[in-house]
Amino acid sequence: MFTTGSKLFLGGTVLSTVGAIVYGASVGGPEGTLGTIGLVTVAVAFAFLAGINFLSRDGNVSAADPGAATSAAGQPPVGRSLWPIAAAVGVAGLAVGAVSKPVVFKVSLIVLLATIMEWMVQGWSERASADRAYNEGVRKRLLHPLEFPILATVGAAVFVYSFSRVMLTINKDSGRWVFIVIGSIIAVAGFVFAGKRGMGTATAAGIVTVGALALVGVGVVSAVQGQRSIDPHPEITTAVCLGTAPPSVIEEVDRKASQRVAAKSSVIANIDLTDKNELIAFNYGQAGVVYHEITVQRSATVHLLFHNRSDTARRLTVHLGTFKAKDGTAGAENAGCTTAVAKDGTAFLTIKIAKSQAASSTPYRLTVPGVDGQEIKVLVP
Amino acid sequence: MDRSEATVSTLGEMPSTRRRWPHALVATAGLALAGCAKNAPQDTFRPAGTNAQNIDNIARPVFYIAGIVMCIVMGVIGYIVLKFKDRGQDIPEQTHGNPKLEIALTILPAILLAGIAVPTVATVFSLSKQSDTQCVINVTGQQWWWEYDYEAGSCGGVTISKPIVAAGELVIPTKTNVLLRITSRDVIHSYWIPRLNGKRDAVPGRLHTLRMEADKPGLYTGQCTEFCGLSHARMRQAAVALEPADFQKWVTNQLAPYVPPATDSLAATGEATFIANCSKCHQVNDIKNADGTPVLSDPDLYLVSGVAPNLSKLMDRTAISGWTFDLISDQCREKLWNAKPADFGALYLRGVTPDCFNEATLRDWLRNPPGMKPMYVNPRNLASTGGKYRGMPNLNLTEAQIDQLVAFLLERK
Repeated sequence: MFTTGSKLFLGGTVLSTVGAIVYGASVGGPEGTLGTIGLVTVAVAFAFLAGINFLSRDGNVSAADPGAATSAAGQPPVGRSLWPIAAAVGVAGLAVGAVSKPVVFKVSLIVLLATIMEWMVQGWSERASADRAYNEGVRKRLLHPLEFPILATVGAAVFVYSFSRVMLTINKDSGRWVFIVIGSIIAVAGFVFAGKRGMGTATAAGIVTVGALALVGVGVVSAVQGQRSIDPHPEITTAVCLGTAPPSVIEEVDRKASQRVAAKSSVIANIDLTDKNELIAFNYGQAGVVYHEITVQRSATVHLLFHNRSDTARRLTVHLGTFKAKDGTAGAENAGCTTAVAKDGTAFLTIKIAKSQAASSTPYRLTVPGVDGQEIKVLVP
Repeated sequence: MDRSEATVSTLGEMPSTRRRWPHALVATAGLALAGCAKNAPQDTFRPAGTNAQNIDNIARPVFYIAGIVMCIVMGVIGYIVLKFKDRGQDIPEQTHGNPKLEIALTILPAILLAGIAVPTVATVFSLSKQSDTQCVINVTGQQWWWEYDYEAGSCGGVTISKPIVAAGELVIPTKTNVLLRITSRDVIHSYWIPRLNGKRDAVPGRLHTLRMEADKPGLYTGQCTEFCGLSHARMRQAAVALEPADFQKWVTNQLAPYVPPATDSLAATGEATFIANCSKCHQVNDIKNADGTPVLSDPDLYLVSGVAPNLSKLMDRTAISGWTFDLISDQCREKLWNAKPADFGALYLRGVTPDCFNEATLRDWLRNPPGMKPMYVNPRNLASTGGKYRGMPNLNLTEAQIDQLVAFLLERK
């Protein structure tokens, strides 16, 4: 009654349904819900395919035809198959992964599931008709839409991952030369391919394969070698901003600290240190009006743009108040700042103040260390 | 099918088709007449300020031209469909290309677009102008209400000695070029008062500006126009335009010091209830504990946005919770809507009076805020926000506490 194809998909339906019930019952929370929905979706898809196979009697071969069992399609196929080996690798990987790393287990599981699917479809397609060429066409029609995108994605991932390992391993100076050479090789190869139109497919495929293998090989070596040592950007701490950090630390911060960059349209105020060492603010939206206090919304991220027009390199420091600790003891003053800015230079300062000014025992304000008597009040209502 | 069946079928279809026409006509007429509604406070075709008028000067002719073009195109399509319907006739001679027609059909739209582009670009520049700004107000969106911070300085000639924080209603002086500096504390919102200007997105970490000017005193409403979560539809806003003299009065009142409730009154008990339950997030300026220390809210500890509406002058506003629920009765709301410009300021500055107070709504809100406005405040589902709320949770207040809080809040003006 049931055709071979519909049995396959009905089996998948039952398996997915049982899986959904077991998963839904054993895994709670949003993950459980999502997983159950996924498995139910798979079950519905399988049921749909089973229905199609049942109604179409597996396409143009009558599975119910008693004669089919004795036809050529009903005979065991003659040919090679890699699937037993792939399945063995998958099972072995599962065992190894179970006692070593979860990632090995997951990859092996994927390999095993893919192998089972390929094997089943191949087994079914080899009995689809008496015509072997037709059978092969059926298999391709069913599996190529899946195989090609997946293999292309895996290939691209391997390519990108290998490339990224190489880039992370080599240092900045040699990296420059490595990529000049690689780029040149690719350009030359491109010219060769373009110029030699008579080049055979096998030759071109061979060159590309060698190149791909070389890249993957270098990627593996790089991955084993590990990432180069990357000097982290030093953090701009309160001690640096208030000048209490050691001079060597302050010097390193000024030299290497990450410079925050934001679009100018997002600046709430421009803060200028004039050539006469006067600190003034221009409120964004009110051109030409000089302010000595700015209002900043509470708990909102805002940006200031500091312009140093004085002769000496200066930093803008924002004093972010002093608050009691949870145990009631007096806390230290918080601060943030830009790096030191040379004459006519600019720097961004991003601030977010969560507490109103009333909560702080010291005022919020902007100062420039080394320039006395100049400050801009920061009002946080 | 025999002949009698065919006849019945044919006769059965004709009345059916005829019956559809009146339905279609009624539906079309209904849609068309809906555009004539007078009670449409967010009508973009009723500009009430210079900026909105500038937009209207462009939008209206473009709308008319586009309408005419649409009618012509639809008419021609309809004519062709009916005239050249396949009735089994011979296929007419097929031709390819008509240079004159193609050139004409390229040049005509180009001229139309160029004609529209010139004034559009000029309007865009005029709407982004800042050199004539007379007042700067910070507008900050968060789920699901708007906060307005008035900077210390001058606003249309009115001196603001220290920053003012308001919520829900943007109060501005008339005939003043106000510049809104718009940002957000959580997700993207969009600020729009259709009768005063176009819309502008509020993006966390960015500051977008929007000019605002109202010609006459009045109430101009709007709606957040960027989907921002569960209660996006309940994130409304209003701009209140007052004559400069009235605006001065409003500023003076906003800066007026806190007046504690009379000793032993229900409101005094409400003050203690407020401090115990509400002041973790809501600030009432200058309110003090029993020992004289100031009560300072810490909304950054409890809310994703880091702020809750300042309630110092709650009863100066006419609505709460993202301008969604009226604090005044329907009759008083109608009076405010329909007030003449000359009377509007005085009426608005009365605030919520006992005869206008919509006490039931405030009580309902205090009793169960998430029941009135969906918010992410279920304590069991706050893992993704580190235990912080998006909105106001149910504080499970008793009826006695609600009585006390209502009495206390009614004096916040």
